[in-house]
Amino acid sequence: RSQISVPVFMFFLSFYYCDNGLSSLKMELLSDVSLLPGEERITDKDIIYICPFSGAVKGKVLITNYRLYFRSSDADVTVTLDVPLGAISRVEKMGGASSRGENSYGLDITCKDMRNLRFALKQEGHSRRDIFEVLFRYAFPLSHGLPLFAYLGQEKYAENGWTIYKPIEEFRRQGLPNNKWRISFINKSYDLCDTYPTVLAVPYKSKEEDLRKVAAFRSRARIPVLSWIHRENQAVIVRCSQPLVGMSGKRNKDDERYLDLIREANDTTKLTIYDARPNVNAVANKATGGGYEGDEYQNAELIFLDIQNIHVMRESQKKLKDIVYPNVEESHWLSSLESTHWLEHVKLVLSGAIQVADKVSSGNSVVVHCSDGWDRTAQLTSLAMLMLDSHYRTLRGFQVLIEKEWISFGHKFASRIGHGDKNHADQDRSPIFVQFIDCVWQMTKQFPTAFEFNEHLLLTILDHLYSCRFGTFLYNCESVRDQHEVRSKTVSLWSLVNSKVDMYLNPFYTPESGRVLYPVASMRHLELWVAYYIRWNPRIRQQQQSPVEQRYKELLALRDEYLKKLEQLQLSDSSTSSHLANSPTPNTTSSSTSTPSQQYTHLQTPL
Amino acid sequence: MEFAEHIKTANVEDVVLRQPLQPPSRGTLCITGHHLLFSDREESDSRQVLLLLRNIDATEKSVENLTGYSGFFSNASHSERMSGSSGTITMKCKDLRVLQLDIPGMEQCLNIAHSIETLSCLDCVSEMYPFFYRPVELSLPEQWGLSSPEMHYSQMKELYEKWRLSTVNRDYSVCSSYPPAVIVPKSIDDDTLKKAAKFRQGGRFPVLCYYHKKNGMVIMRSSQPLLGANRKRCKEDELLLQAVIEGSDKGYIIDTRSRQQAQQARMTGGGFESKSFYSRWKRFHRPMERGKALQESLIKLVEACGDESNNMDRWLSKLENSKWLSHVQNALSTAGLLVECVERDGHSVLVHGSEGTDCSLLISTLAQLIMDPCCRTVEGFLGLLEREWIQARHPFQQRCAHSAYSHARLQQESPVFLLLMDCVWQLWRQFPLALGFSEALLLRLATEVYASDYGTFLCNSDQERCALGVKERTHCLFQALLRPTQRDYYSNPLYERTELAIWPSVHPQSLQLWKGYFLRWTQQVRHLEEAQEEIRNMVIEWGKLACS
Repeated sequence: RSQISVPVFMFFLSFYYCDNGLSSLKMELLSDVSLLPGEERITDKDIIYICPFSGAVKGKVLITNYRLYFRSSDADVTVTLDVPLGAISRVEKMGGASSRGENSYGLDITCKDMRNLRFALKQEGHSRRDIFEVLFRYAFPLSHGLPLFAYLGQEKYAENGWTIYKPIEEFRRQGLPNNKWRISFINKSYDLCDTYPTVLAVPYKSKEEDLRKVAAFRSRARIPVLSWIHRENQAVIVRCSQPLVGMSGKRNKDDERYLDLIREANDTTKLTIYDARPNVNAVANKATGGGYEGDEYQNAELIFLDIQNIHVMRESQKKLKDIVYPNVEESHWLSSLESTHWLEHVKLVLSGAIQVADKVSSGNSVVVHCSDGWDRTAQLTSLAMLMLDSHYRTLRGFQVLIEKEWISFGHKFASRIGHGDKNHADQDRSPIFVQFIDCVWQMTKQFPTAFEFNEHLLLTILDHLYSCRFGTFLYNCESVRDQHEVRSKTVSLWSLVNSKVDMYLNPFYTPESGRVLYPVASMRHLELWVAYYIRWNPRIRQQQQSPVEQRYKELLALRDEYLKKLEQLQLSDSSTSSHLANSPTPNTTSSSTSTPSQQYTHLQTPL
Repeated sequence: MEFAEHIKTANVEDVVLRQPLQPPSRGTLCITGHHLLFSDREESDSRQVLLLLRNIDATEKSVENLTGYSGFFSNASHSERMSGSSGTITMKCKDLRVLQLDIPGMEQCLNIAHSIETLSCLDCVSEMYPFFYRPVELSLPEQWGLSSPEMHYSQMKELYEKWRLSTVNRDYSVCSSYPPAVIVPKSIDDDTLKKAAKFRQGGRFPVLCYYHKKNGMVIMRSSQPLLGANRKRCKEDELLLQAVIEGSDKGYIIDTRSRQQAQQARMTGGGFESKSFYSRWKRFHRPMERGKALQESLIKLVEACGDESNNMDRWLSKLENSKWLSHVQNALSTAGLLVECVERDGHSVLVHGSEGTDCSLLISTLAQLIMDPCCRTVEGFLGLLEREWIQARHPFQQRCAHSAYSHARLQQESPVFLLLMDCVWQLWRQFPLALGFSEALLLRLATEVYASDYGTFLCNSDQERCALGVKERTHCLFQALLRPTQRDYYSNPLYERTELAIWPSVHPQSLQLWKGYFLRWTQQVRHLEEAQEEIRNMVIEWGKLACS
């Protein structure tokens, strides 16, 4: 096994990439690029890639309806680029007919995934115009009346990822319905709230007409509904949008009564309402008809969590990109990082979620909202649920969490990411979901044995957040997804993931069902996710992943072997450990239905 | 000297101890010549805290002469001798722990504080605890240490052709800071060495510290040449270096000072190898911070880490301002340059700064870890430390007299060894499979270097160690760490030997604060330690069963 490490010192030898060596370098080479089923070649061209790390590299670019692929033709530098067109946010021409200077005429491509690409072309002919038009058309299909690639792909997988999340089953897993909470189908045709899912859990005592009245008083009719219930103490996490208080300070008795029903359900003395926004923003929202719960809500307390809005997050990420790509800020790295405020925002989101989780685990029900309840609210509820419920820390449970709190509850993926849309400067864009995954990553760093999935899963999720290869993150909400028949016409990302789970498993995962994870949200304990934000810089990479991944795979195999032997031992000795013999095979990948109570590491091997 | 004369109050009852990660507890405090012992008698699970006084870097005391003493516990049945006064001693330890004692009775408190202050910084080496440490299960070792220059040489057959073991320093007369035997080019006789030694500061003439088996190139170490203002030269020194690169076209010199510093050193009798007399040697200057600047960097860092104020907005700036991570970066990249010369470019290298006892050791040690898989096992790593730091002499006693909390005026303190541990940790983090030892070993070493039961880090040189009988009268830490249970504990369960060099990335983005050390007394780091431990046990368990 080779263990090549990336050279970092450029003292004697010029910097080189250590890719797979120099295989076939003929110019027909791009015929060997393996394409996805349903992917079609559109054009290829000789081009110069202005690599920020190794300078201008001659080669050939291939554009399909899914990707931009570049391979160098120089014998001494091997550079390949494989970029899904979905990751492109902007394509610009650089230089004009009068441009002087080498490589000043070409294309500038801005990507959503923390990198930019720059290509130079010959000024003769219409080579640039052609390629620009192809890129523009296929990178932004929706702006040209074309379908997204997810509708063209014909990938087949052993598993159907669309079945991973079934709302009723998930509620049942949580122990719902019960005598305090019921399942309502009032939204089955999206006429109560067009951005909510069809199946909702609401207080048992609330009537359907109450829900309609409450909807009138909540922004975009996003009424308070249950996201999660604590099995033992019955405390709940309820999510919603802001109340429509307005300048005049309107009240709504139905809304007040409804929140009190939520409180009553487990006899919480004081219902805690977490408003994710900074206090001033919540006040300012009154001017546009929104606001927050005032003193009229008896038996409730309101806490602001000071998390900034989508625009602030977008600017912060932009600043972060500025200091990591293409050139990494070297001399004042830490203070530059500090000035992006990215980690500070991560901290505030995490610490908000910690407060929510803590409240719930001590038996008090909470309501979480921001303005519309689809950005910060989704971050807070999903992170709190990840802390409280170990099921969501499994590979499949995590998929359920994303499907449930983000996709079904209408996080506006289409608006935030801008899939297939040429409008790169849209004010709706924001890295809210990336920030959530960053928070998850911080948690996995702090609790290396608590998550069944590994960093590779998080990277894969973020890659396909943009790629448009899968239907999973397309569109803003369920109603639109239904209109576009996403489930029947596209493939789910989870099909890919669940068809080769080995890639995404953490060998050190130790299931612990009852444990609440409280990460530390202090700046001292947070780290920049270098493996994501700076992954395009070949100089920052660490020990090549392949041997590490290989070793982890071996460990997974060893673990499986261990579990198998352990089970055999238990079967042959069932008198002393009958409870274990009854438990399902501790195959952690199929834990969607089993309760993760088999804590094999806590067992003493009877050897 | 009797320790007793420093102990006016040996026992105090009803003391409250506050320590990180644990609730305060009440119990009995006892001071001995080397230890502070606290026994908690309150609970059924009685706890004891045994703290080496040497570990205490600074104490702060405050006494209150109030009636109605109210400590953490308000216990009405306090004894009458309190007479309403009390005191608090805050002890800041070299392992970065901060402990607090609430002691009833002002006089007792002052007595205890006085004992701690005096006994924690005794100068006399032979009175230090390693000379008294006699665990029942262990007898003093027959052979102290893991190896000796003689044994090392005899195991390195590939050296025999061109290199010899010289005992010119057998009575430490040529160089007081070198071990009695050193490896030098075969063609150079002892007389030449003696003369060359006179031309090097402290007599530290160039000796071999590493032989790269893949290409036969070597790393040599020395101190600066003593050119002085009138540019003296020394034929023997030139000959010695010439012999090193016999059969090769050139060699490199890495000077850990800036060009300007090296030039200025001539004014005080030092200098550098000039091009005209060492024509086949190419010199690089890679200025590295040392001494006081490094110590101050550590102080700033520890201060930032201990800042309990809620306003953490400026954490990253504070971390940057401490410059600690840039010292880490500098050390790793200089070591990288050294490896590049030897491994990639295929030439021998001489490393020195001024004295050749700090930065030179730091980068030669790191370079060996990066290049040589034999140095990456637990045994190999400890052996490397013994050769480079114990035998080739790092003045531990001077450098580690105080750590980051001390109020004493800085003298020769400098956390060079701690910086090494941090750099090795960075390697360990970037190459999770390549090193055979765990973070726990680095933590243990970083702690032991400041206060220890063992004699390994006592004294400033081999000569002093022999004179004081360290090798006869103390236990050796490295040997202790290699006892089977300990060795298992300090090994990396994921280890997989690689023959390749492990090139670290030295960009600031690739370097991290060593939280395991600098934030070790926080709950979060404790959790991580537990998780590491869990992973270790898991992997061992799987392995056992799979093999059964």
